[in-house]
Amino acid sequence: MPRYELALILKAMQRPGTSAALRRTVETLMERGAVVRDLENLGERLLPYTITKHNQRHSRGGYFLVDFYAAPSILTGLLDHLHRDVDVVRPTVLKKDAQVPSSNCCGPQQ
Amino acid sequence: MFQVIGGRSVQVTRLLAPRSTVIVEAVRGRKSRTDPVAKSKEGRIKVPPPVDATEMVVLKERYTEYQMITRALRLEFKEEVLRKKYEEETGSLAEERARQEAEEHRALMAFNNQENLRMLQVRMLRIQKETEDAERKQVEAVAQREQQQQEFIKEREREILKLQEDAKNFITLENLDQRIEAALDNPKNYNFAIDKEGRVVKQTMLQ
Repeated sequence: MPRYELALILKAMQRPGTSAALRRTVETLMERGAVVRDLENLGERLLPYTITKHNQRHSRGGYFLVDFYAAPSILTGLLDHLHRDVDVVRPTVLKKDAQVPSSNCCGPQQ
Repeated sequence: MFQVIGGRSVQVTRLLAPRSTVIVEAVRGRKSRTDPVAKSKEGRIKVPPPVDATEMVVLKERYTEYQMITRALRLEFKEEVLRKKYEEETGSLAEERARQEAEEHRALMAFNNQENLRMLQVRMLRIQKETEDAERKQVEAVAQREQQQQEFIKEREREILKLQEDAKNFITLENLDQRIEAALDNPKNYNFAIDKEGRVVKQTMLQ
């Protein structure tokens, strides 16, 4: 199965709200047959610009990273679901490439 | 009396004649046998040219002698030609030559056969070597492919094992809460700074 990465921006909430939203998201993923590998928190940061979503203007958001393995067919459904979630400011699913073998960087050596 | 002519003399006459004239030639016998004689020729008796007796005799003798000599010469030359031709075909020299040619031919054929045999040997060797090479290459190719397949399989097995190892750390329904708490407690920061000398600074301000 190909490996995807969900870069999730959640609304800036208190801890119980965030953890509930995360739990919801991961459970949705697992319901659709994904295998969640890892969950990372990139902190609560200032958004690069104010994002308006669900009739609310957000200036801060919590950035989270979810690695998962899934079938490609679920992605559209998943994104649809996430767009409808009120706590989610912006969901983005990206494909994770296989690690390139680290070789010597091309370019003039110093 | 005048007729337009054809033939080789025409070309010469054409060259020499002036441009505007028509080229004609006098031809005997225009009149047929029933035509009357011309006025200027009435009463003409044709007389053969006079002959002197002694002169005649002398001339005849000389002529016979002359003709005999020329005939003799002519025949001699003819005979010589024929003799030469005969000797060419069936003389002694001809036999010699024929024999020598046959010798040469035989020698050359023998040489050719020798060469053929030699080339045959060389060719056999070459073909043998080529087949051996081809076989060896084949075997090598097979071995190579085998090896590649083995490597491939090993690679995949390694990947599988790695994945199995990693699978122990995946998030499941039981881990979920703990993992969420852990994640929320440890924010990770991927930002870093680097300058032209290559010094990396991982500690950045997290807003």
